[in-house]
Amino acid sequence: MSLALATLLYEWRRYMAAVVALAFSGLLVLAQVGMFVGIGKGFTAQIDRARADIMVLGPGAKALFGGPSGLPRRMIPLVYSHPEVTQVAPLDGSGGRFQNILSPEQQAKEEARAKRAGKGEKGGGGGTARKTEFVNVTVVDAIPGYVTVPTDYTQSMIEALRRPYAVAVDETALKRLGVKKGDKALYNGKTIHIAVVTRGYPNIIQPTLVMSRDTLRMLGEADIGQRVGPLMVEIKDPARAEIVAAQLNKKADGKFRAWTRQELADANSNAMLEDQIIGIMLGFSAFLGLLIGVAITWQTLRGAIMANIKEFASLRALGVSMGDLRNIVMELSFWVGIVGVFAAGLLTWGVSLLATMGGVPMYFPPVLVAIVAGFLVAIAMLSGFLSLGVLKNSQPADLLR
Amino acid sequence: MTRDNAHKRGETALEARGLVKRFKTGRSYIEVLKGIDFDAKHGDVTMVMGPSGSGKSTLVAALSGLLKPDEGKVSALEAKDLWSLPTGKIDKFRLDHCGFIFQGFNLFPALTAKQQVMTALKYQGASPGEQARRAQAALESVGLGPRVNQRPSELSGGEKQRVAIARALAKNPNLIFADEPTSALDGENGQIVIRLLREAASVRGAAVICVTHDPRLEAYADRVIHIEDGRILDDVRRTPDANPAPLSH
Repeated sequence: MSLALATLLYEWRRYMAAVVALAFSGLLVLAQVGMFVGIGKGFTAQIDRARADIMVLGPGAKALFGGPSGLPRRMIPLVYSHPEVTQVAPLDGSGGRFQNILSPEQQAKEEARAKRAGKGEKGGGGGTARKTEFVNVTVVDAIPGYVTVPTDYTQSMIEALRRPYAVAVDETALKRLGVKKGDKALYNGKTIHIAVVTRGYPNIIQPTLVMSRDTLRMLGEADIGQRVGPLMVEIKDPARAEIVAAQLNKKADGKFRAWTRQELADANSNAMLEDQIIGIMLGFSAFLGLLIGVAITWQTLRGAIMANIKEFASLRALGVSMGDLRNIVMELSFWVGIVGVFAAGLLTWGVSLLATMGGVPMYFPPVLVAIVAGFLVAIAMLSGFLSLGVLKNSQPADLLR
Repeated sequence: MTRDNAHKRGETALEARGLVKRFKTGRSYIEVLKGIDFDAKHGDVTMVMGPSGSGKSTLVAALSGLLKPDEGKVSALEAKDLWSLPTGKIDKFRLDHCGFIFQGFNLFPALTAKQQVMTALKYQGASPGEQARRAQAALESVGLGPRVNQRPSELSGGEKQRVAIARALAKNPNLIFADEPTSALDGENGQIVIRLLREAASVRGAAVICVTHDPRLEAYADRVIHIEDGRILDDVRRTPDANPAPLSH
């Protein structure tokens, strides 16, 4: 075992501050990456968990959102004509005003509150039970095993959605919409019924309603014209998705683009990270993490080296060159970085468990995790580099006193 | 790298002429070494004695390539003018030829006795297998065979100093500099340490230069140099006692 590693393991208390600083720098960046990607996943959860092996988007679309992703209805038979395709269904969606309907008791409370406010009591406006929200609507075909139905929908959920005007709401949106399972509510002025509560489909930006294609049609908002949304495609052998997608693209001749589910998921999260504001936020936290991490790690390393300065000086006396001592310090900071990466992983895991419990799912793409790990080791090495100056104090002549 | 200098006994290993060293204190300079001439022979234990502040540690620092004197010349082994060499060459010289034993033991708290010695050998370019073999042999020669895997916190003061000696001797140095090697030790351990140094000179032919103010160590010396106020007072050649009286406080 090298001197650097042995020292780190034996005198770990001395290096704890550096490791903790690195761990929190890592947490600062990783938690945000996890949250943003998790939010992004929330947007596309329904697609990620769909049964479709291939998705067909308009030719210019770079991701499912943020661009025209629909295509003409006449493309459906063209996709169907591939011999391995078994099902094709367009995604459909809408959006509009959602209002909850209060029970008579709630109604009475609201009126009492309004009366008090009318008498001149200030500050009575907050906390009203009446909610109005703009919501997204996406559709599924309420047929068990159908290509648009997410894989984690149970038989009974699908049965419930098959009833006219039945909708599903994610548990994380219930409070915001002021409803619970079994309530009635208004969507664009028409009465709907909260029949299903889903889990794991959070959308922090805007609540989402899921309804059957037939319910959307009855509400008068379904696509019945020449253009439809992206196509969900099921094929006989999911393992051949890449090959079939390539064949479909050849057949398309530029009129549409077929993506495998993985391709589209990657494109979606990239589109998310390329988003200006998120990029700035992540960049800024990375900068903060760097600053805090370097400052604390540097000072800790300096102190730890000073504590062993006489031993370093005795090595100098025995003829070990300054360059070799520098290498020892750099190796030491490298190991501090490695331990810091593990500590950051542990902390982030804990935080992500808490977040998942609170309904904010986090997701960590391996590439970004690797980048953050490299970033932490770089912080440690930079701190080690800054601490090299301390070695000037290792004057062996000072030992002769 | 096993060099035995027993055949060189009696030859001059180290010679210094006109060493002057000044330290600045405030606006004035204090002259710590005032033109000292010094030499040490292979196989000799040369004792440098004097009260504290007499400049004996500074002398050793200048002789061993740790502290550059303001004037004078040091020639040691094949280096005719040690202080004219670039820093890297002086480091290399110490690496190849010098062993140091300090009053404080200066052992890394994280390393076992064997690892302490191996670390010193590693920088001499020894292979890991050779490091382990030579470290084991050096520790056994100082009587620490059973304690090679103990860390400094588990060793007594005397044992720590013996580890430091093993670290210095494992390199098979031609020049061994010891600065008050026994002053932190009790009589019994002090005796073990000075005997080991005596042996390094008699058996291996190393030139041992030992700074001390402990008069009882004189019994082990071939030569005693008294230094006071930066000047050599007297230089006595003597025959080491065959059975020196035991050191005890």
